[in-house]
Amino acid sequence: MRRERFERLQRQLEAQGIDGLVLLGSSSVGYATGAAAPAQDGDRAALFRQVAVVVKGDSAPHLYTPFADGVPAELPEDHLHGPLFPDLDDGIDAFAKELTEHFGSRARVGVDDQTHAMLRGLPGFEWVDVSDVVGAAKLTKTPDEIACIRNAQRLNELAMTDALAALRPGVRQIDLSAVFLRRVFELGASANGIDPIWQVMAPTRELGPWTLHGDLAYPTVTTDRFLREGDVIWVDSGITWQGYASDYGRTWTTGVSPNAKQQAHFRRWRTVVDAALDVLKPGVSALELGRTAIEANDGVRPWIEHFYLAHGVGTDSAEMPLIGTDLGEGFDERLIMQPGMVLVLEPVIWEDGYAGYRSEDIVAVTDTSWVKLSGSTYEPYGVEV
Amino acid sequence: MSPAPRDRGVFIGMMGLEDGARVDFARLRAERRAKVFSGMAAHDLDALMLGGVGNVKYVSGARQLGRSGVLPFAPVAVVVRETERVHLLSTWDEGVPPEIGRDDLYRMSWNPANLAADLAKIPGLRDARRVGTDGLTPMFASLIPERVTKADLVDAGPMLTAARRTKTPDEILCVEVASAIAEAALSAMKGALAPGITDRELLAVYHERIASLGAPMPPSEDVCTVTPSSVTLAPGALYAGYEAGLARTRTADSELVSRCEGAMDALVAACHPGNTGADLYRAWEATGNGDPGLPLAHGLGLGAEPPLIGLGRGRDAAIEEGMVLSVQSWVASEGIGGCLQRDTVLVESGGPRLLTRYGRL
Repeated sequence: MRRERFERLQRQLEAQGIDGLVLLGSSSVGYATGAAAPAQDGDRAALFRQVAVVVKGDSAPHLYTPFADGVPAELPEDHLHGPLFPDLDDGIDAFAKELTEHFGSRARVGVDDQTHAMLRGLPGFEWVDVSDVVGAAKLTKTPDEIACIRNAQRLNELAMTDALAALRPGVRQIDLSAVFLRRVFELGASANGIDPIWQVMAPTRELGPWTLHGDLAYPTVTTDRFLREGDVIWVDSGITWQGYASDYGRTWTTGVSPNAKQQAHFRRWRTVVDAALDVLKPGVSALELGRTAIEANDGVRPWIEHFYLAHGVGTDSAEMPLIGTDLGEGFDERLIMQPGMVLVLEPVIWEDGYAGYRSEDIVAVTDTSWVKLSGSTYEPYGVEV
Repeated sequence: MSPAPRDRGVFIGMMGLEDGARVDFARLRAERRAKVFSGMAAHDLDALMLGGVGNVKYVSGARQLGRSGVLPFAPVAVVVRETERVHLLSTWDEGVPPEIGRDDLYRMSWNPANLAADLAKIPGLRDARRVGTDGLTPMFASLIPERVTKADLVDAGPMLTAARRTKTPDEILCVEVASAIAEAALSAMKGALAPGITDRELLAVYHERIASLGAPMPPSEDVCTVTPSSVTLAPGALYAGYEAGLARTRTADSELVSRCEGAMDALVAACHPGNTGADLYRAWEATGNGDPGLPLAHGLGLGAEPPLIGLGRGRDAAIEEGMVLSVQSWVASEGIGGCLQRDTVLVESGGPRLLTRYGRL
C-alpha cells in the first residue's frame, strides 16, 4: 500500500512537472510516508510535527520525525532523519540545508503549509501548492486503502453499539463519548480523529442554533449537556486505523423508539441514498448524483447548505470527491466517478417541526458499480414494531 | 460557599458553578483580547488572519470542534485593530462568545473564492497596510492579495508569542483544572495496571476518564509506553483549551527512578524568572546524565507553545514570571530501560511551583 501510494505521488510529480514535495500536514505526511505518529491536538501536532520530503524520481520519501517508533520498516536508513521544527526560527538553517541537498536552486517544489520561519529561512524555490499533486494521487484508492477504511469503519461501528446501549435519559453527551472512546481503543483503533458529536436536534430550524444561512447548524461541539427523553440526536464520529479515517453517522432517539413520523424520515433518507446508489457507477458525474438525490426528495435539496450530498474519505476525514458543495455545478459536472473512489453519502431529511434524519453510508466505486464499506443497521430506526 | 474562599480548590461540574469557584471566562477573554489589541498596536499590525488552533482560541474564545493533527494554514479568525472586532469562521453562533456578534461571523466554504469574498467584506481588512498571519500556503499567498487585501502579509508570531507567553490568573486556574483532570486520568490508569493489560487498553481507560470529566480531546494519545521492564504513563488534559500533563514511570530499578527524580528536581529548580534555557541545560548536565534526546521543557498554555528547550534548541529562551512549562526528565540505563517524569510547572516571582502533583506510580 505504501509503495503504491508513493508511486502515485511520483506519477503526479512527473505529469505536473514538479520537482518534489515538502509536506507538513499530518494527513499528507501520513499518505506520503506511512509513518505513524500519536494523535495530538493541533498546536502540539504543529510544534512536534513530522515532515516528509518527496524528490521526483527517488525510490522512497525522506522522513523527518520525532517518533522513531512509527517509522515504516522498509524506509531506507539514509531517508530517515531526526525531527525538524519548521515552526521555530531556532534550527531552521538545518531544514534549509536538508532541502538544498534534495533540490537544485531553481527547483519547482510543492508545499502544503508554510510557516513564517520557513518563508524567512528556506531557499527561494519556486513554491507551488501541493493540492493538485496530493489531491490527484488520493482521489482514487487502492484495494489496500479501501480495506483500511473498511476496518476503521468496522471498529467505529462496533464501539457505537456500546454507546447506543448506554443512551438513556439523564446521560450526558460526554458520557457517551467516554463509553465510545473506551470501547473503540479496546477494539484496536489507532487514533481518534475528532471529538465525537451527539448533537440534540431541535424540532425546528428556528429553535436550533442561529445560522448565517438560515439552514441547520451541524455539527456543534459536544458538552456536558444532559440528554433527555425524546431527544433526537445526530451522531458523528471518526476514528482512524493505520492512518485511514472512518466516518460514522446515525440518528438516535433518547429513551423512546422512533415514532411513525421519525420512521418515515428514515425511509425517505433510505430512498434518497438508494436513488443515488442506483445510478452510481464509473462515468457518472457528481452533478448527476446530486440531481438524482434532489429528485428523490421531491425536488428539495437533501443536504445542509454548507455541506454536501457526499464526500470522500481516506487519510483525511473529508476529501475529494465532494458532491454538491459551493464549488458549484460546473465543478460537479466535471467530477466523474472512477473505480476506487470512496463516497460517504450523508443526505439529511428535515421536516420543520419534527426534526429529521441523517445517517452516513460509505461505498467504494468498483469497475462496474459499487460496494458498501459501512454497516447496514440503523438502530433504533428501521425495525418496525 | 463562603464569601471569600481562602482555599479555592479546583472544581469542575455543577457544584463548582454554584460556588463561583470556576474561572471567570468573560474576564479571561477580555484580558486576552486587551493583550491582543495592545500587541497589535505595539507591533504595528492593522489586522490578523489566523489558523492555528491555539491562536484562534486565544483571540476568539470560541469553542472549536476538537480534532487531532495539524492542518495547513487557513484564515479561521480575523482581528481588525481599527474596529476592535474579532471575526470568526463559523456558520452558527453556538459556542461563540457574546462579544463576537453574528455580523462578525463568516461562512464555512469549500470554495476558496467564496471564502475570499467573505473575507473581503470584513470592515477594515481591505485597507489594512500590515496583516499578521500565523502561516501561509502558496494558494493563500496569491488569493489574499488578489481578492482580499493588498496589505503586506507579515509574521504574527512575535506579537502572539509575547501575548500568550505569560499567563493571567484565570489562565493559570484553567491549567490547574487541566492538571487535576490529568491526575485523575493517571489514577484511573494506575488502577487498571495489572499483568496482561495492553497499552491500547490503558489508552482506553485514559480516554474514558478524561471524557467523563468533560475534557474529551487529549493533548496527545502518547500516554502509555510499555517495555519488558517498565511502564510509563503520561496523561495530559485540555480544559477550556488549556493544557497540563504529567508522567510517571514504574520500573523494577528503583535507583533509576531516584536518578530521574533527582534530575527532575534540578530542572524544576532552574525554572526561575530571569533564567534562560541555558540554565536548564546546565542544570541537566550537572546531574551527570547524558543527552536525553527529548525536550527538557516547552511552554504550555492553549496547547504546546514555544519556547522549546532541548534537542539543541532554546538556549536563549527567557524564563519569565507567569510562564507555564512542561518540564521532563528522561534517564535511561543500558539494558534496563528508561524512566520518564514530567510535570507542569508555573514560574512565579519567587521560583517554580508544581501545578501537577503525583507521587510514584
